[in-house]
Amino acid sequence: MLVKRSNYRLDVLAIIILLVFVALVSRLGYLQVVQGKYYGEKADGNRIRLAPIMAPRGMFYDRNGIPLVSNRPGFAVSLLPISGPVPDDIIVKVASILNIAPDEIKKKLSQHNGRFEPIRIKSDIGPDIVTKIEERRAELPGVVIEIQPIRNYINNELAAHLFGYVSEINDVELEEAKEKSNVYKSGDIIGKFGLEKIYDRELRGIDGGNQVEVDVTGRPVNVLGRKETVPGKNLTLTIDYKIQKAAEIAIDEQLTYLQTKSEFRNAKAAAAIAMNPKTGEILAMVSRPTFNPNLFSGGISSKDWKALNENPNNPMNNKAISGEYPPGSTFKLVTGAAALELGKVTPEEKILDTGKHWIIPKGNSEGEALGWINFKEALTKSDNVYFYEMGNRLGIDNLEKYARMFGLGVTTGINLQGESEGLVANQRYKEKVYGEEWYLSETFDAAIGQGFQLTTPLQVAVLMSEIANGGYRYRPYLVSKISSDKGEVIKTFAPEEVGRIQLSDRTLTLIRESLRDVTLEGGTAAQAFRDFPISIAGKTGTAENSHGSDHGWFIAYGPYEDPRIVVVVIVEQGGFGTGSAAPIARKIMEAAFNLNQDPAAAQQTHKPQTAL
Amino acid sequence: MLNRRLLRNLDFVTITTTAILILISLVIIGSATHINTPGEERYWYVERQGMFALFNVVFIIILLNFDYKVLGKFANGLYGINLVMLLAVMFIGQSALGAQRWIQIGPISLQPSEFSKLIMIIALADMLDKKTGKLNSFKDLIPIFLYVGVPFLLILKQPDLGTSLVFLAILFGMLFIAGIKSKHLMMIFGAGAALMPIFWHFLKDYQKMRLSVFIDPNVDPLGSGYHIIQSKIAIGSGMLFGKGLFGGTQSQLNFLPENHTDFIFAVIGEELGFIGAVLILLLYFILLYRGVKIAGEAKDNFGTLLATGITSMLTFHVLVNVGMTAGIMPVTGIPLPLMSYGVSALTTNMISIGILLNIYMRRQKIMF
Repeated sequence: MLVKRSNYRLDVLAIIILLVFVALVSRLGYLQVVQGKYYGEKADGNRIRLAPIMAPRGMFYDRNGIPLVSNRPGFAVSLLPISGPVPDDIIVKVASILNIAPDEIKKKLSQHNGRFEPIRIKSDIGPDIVTKIEERRAELPGVVIEIQPIRNYINNELAAHLFGYVSEINDVELEEAKEKSNVYKSGDIIGKFGLEKIYDRELRGIDGGNQVEVDVTGRPVNVLGRKETVPGKNLTLTIDYKIQKAAEIAIDEQLTYLQTKSEFRNAKAAAAIAMNPKTGEILAMVSRPTFNPNLFSGGISSKDWKALNENPNNPMNNKAISGEYPPGSTFKLVTGAAALELGKVTPEEKILDTGKHWIIPKGNSEGEALGWINFKEALTKSDNVYFYEMGNRLGIDNLEKYARMFGLGVTTGINLQGESEGLVANQRYKEKVYGEEWYLSETFDAAIGQGFQLTTPLQVAVLMSEIANGGYRYRPYLVSKISSDKGEVIKTFAPEEVGRIQLSDRTLTLIRESLRDVTLEGGTAAQAFRDFPISIAGKTGTAENSHGSDHGWFIAYGPYEDPRIVVVVIVEQGGFGTGSAAPIARKIMEAAFNLNQDPAAAQQTHKPQTAL
Repeated sequence: MLNRRLLRNLDFVTITTTAILILISLVIIGSATHINTPGEERYWYVERQGMFALFNVVFIIILLNFDYKVLGKFANGLYGINLVMLLAVMFIGQSALGAQRWIQIGPISLQPSEFSKLIMIIALADMLDKKTGKLNSFKDLIPIFLYVGVPFLLILKQPDLGTSLVFLAILFGMLFIAGIKSKHLMMIFGAGAALMPIFWHFLKDYQKMRLSVFIDPNVDPLGSGYHIIQSKIAIGSGMLFGKGLFGGTQSQLNFLPENHTDFIFAVIGEELGFIGAVLILLLYFILLYRGVKIAGEAKDNFGTLLATGITSMLTFHVLVNVGMTAGIMPVTGIPLPLMSYGVSALTTNMISIGILLNIYMRRQKIMF
């Protein structure tokens, strides 16, 4: 049997249980009898509701601290179900004030399950609608006006593809979010694209709110409790506002020029990248056509959405990272490096260009013949026959190997979504897709960046950086710092080396010298860089396009002696890179080196010396 | 088999009290859910809970045929199954409200931590039965703590703070009756209090928040604080006589979240008033008092310990749940026994009461 004290202890247990019940009954007596009237009034007369206050999203700053994306105060109309569902006549009245269909409101109401929170019907309404609703307040019980921070892209289209846009979370995203975490709730404004999407968690902050007592018309009469909002974290970008702006303007002007004053009427899309070759920091990135992310901030109208969707040049696509183009002659950097490194040619050896290669009659685009030329002359003048021969000597497998060593055929890993991999021409691909063996003429095409070869502008920027910095492959990045709203640095991003290609000094020097000569008298971009005071290394390229005019490439770095910026430009259907892309690159370089800048504009930038 | 003598020894007070509580629960669940559940499925919760209650009655009748002593033989096996179930929750479990607690088997989602409480009582009763009178030094207590510690930590990890606290209530209730020295008990409580800050450190953010809002609901008026404020308004506004069944404005208009599960007592308070709430508490008191009585009259130590564990568990549940709805206990997600909707909990509680009946039925030590 149990030790003796157990019976006594069972009595203790019974007493403890009795005390528990005495405590509970006392508490109930206090709540229901002593304070019953107080709580009764709370439950009957007034209703308690939650009035959420949206946390302001984090700001975006350029590398010099210039604000690029902020928030502005706006008004939103919400419905607050007071006792049971919102009556139909109120829905109809609100719909007519807002000029939307009543069914749209009903749909929103049915999507929300929270019954103590206002359900947002329309964001960012104008002051005229605010006035109308306030005037008719008495006949619109439950209709409330909330203050809501609205995302503000200060320079409208500027860097739209980088920043992305925000809008209300949809059902699919809500489901996805539930699987991962429970941070998001219905009605939340979230980042949908670009950095807004990638860094949404950091940017969004923590919503707060008031617990308020509302009267029968839904107007708050008393605040019972308050939860402060925590503003989102700020992003400092690697972007240099001055260079970004110059690139945007240069592309727009050049596209207008090509469309109106040249034979290239269809030059409607383009992309440009400026990058620090020694770190991978993106200084500017532009894609055309573009969109205004402000259109999405308060809910995009169906007209605007239709216009964006129906544009055949796909404005929502960031062509700098997702556009896949044949690299054209810019690929000769890869072919040339491979031929020199593998000893397939010496710098001195001369090859005879009679206008056509002797094995397969392929020649230069304009049919010209350059005679006996060495490596440097061939690269500077972008001679096709010479590089066909390099392809012939290397073979497709060596070309593939070097292209991959330079980082082509895989994404660069930039912190944006939607990056394409491109394609490195290779035998396995042809075998798999076409079920055919490889032909020598395809090696020829591959050697000058046509045929199967596909690259994104960003991959080409990385390739050019490797030539400029001696073979280091850095992950391109856009954000240098995440900091709290109080300015505390939370996270910093450093350059990240993701690959390395071993190139001898001899090879690098020869290629670099050839590229420098491209912008000098007699080079393919001499005209675009005439009288440029800083020595620039460049390469033109033309991507063959079976659907229209060819795409023009220009890639460059500068200064030649100590490269601090790589610029890559492609103009879709702009013809030769010399005439279409190189003038844009020059304008970007001018901004980067503070040349020919409008003095008033130059003063606006806070710290010009930190630009480069 | 059941003979007339055994049937004559059935505890009709416990049976009646339990039956009344379950019937009340079906009415209250109906009141809490019918307005927010669409058309044909209006009484889905009531039907499901009622169906399981009937099923459990049949199950208990079958179990009454066997002497509860056989439970001792299964103790270690049940303990093992329990660990497997808790690990299964960890790996294949489904999460809700920030915790992994469910496993889905066909149409039924099981909440193993509910069953695990009863299994722990059985396993611990078997262990303490063998150690009765031998709990003299601290060293004797260590194996017991390890035995309880493993499932305790697994449940804490889910995380299910509420259920792990129930484990502690069961452990100390049973140790107390098994004869732990008062001095040791005091020392353990002292050490526990001293370790509180470290324990706090290991809590999840939402758990910390729940405990913070208990002290000041305005810390998080939109989240956990909302539950407390609304629950107090619902109960308080019920006043002396209540607003009548199906008449509670707070619970009917869905001001009150989780009103058919964890916060069901707020519906009782609002609709049945102080008088109704106290009458229901009285039923619970009768049930628990019978539990202590059965512990005292059991024919052996094992029975005493089993009954003590079950009574401790139910008492803790009532205290924490009702306390929580009335704003004097933190929100920990512990359901009200026999009242809250939830078939895992209902099954566990009914079988527990079935075991009490079994112990009482076989209380006489001399046969014939």
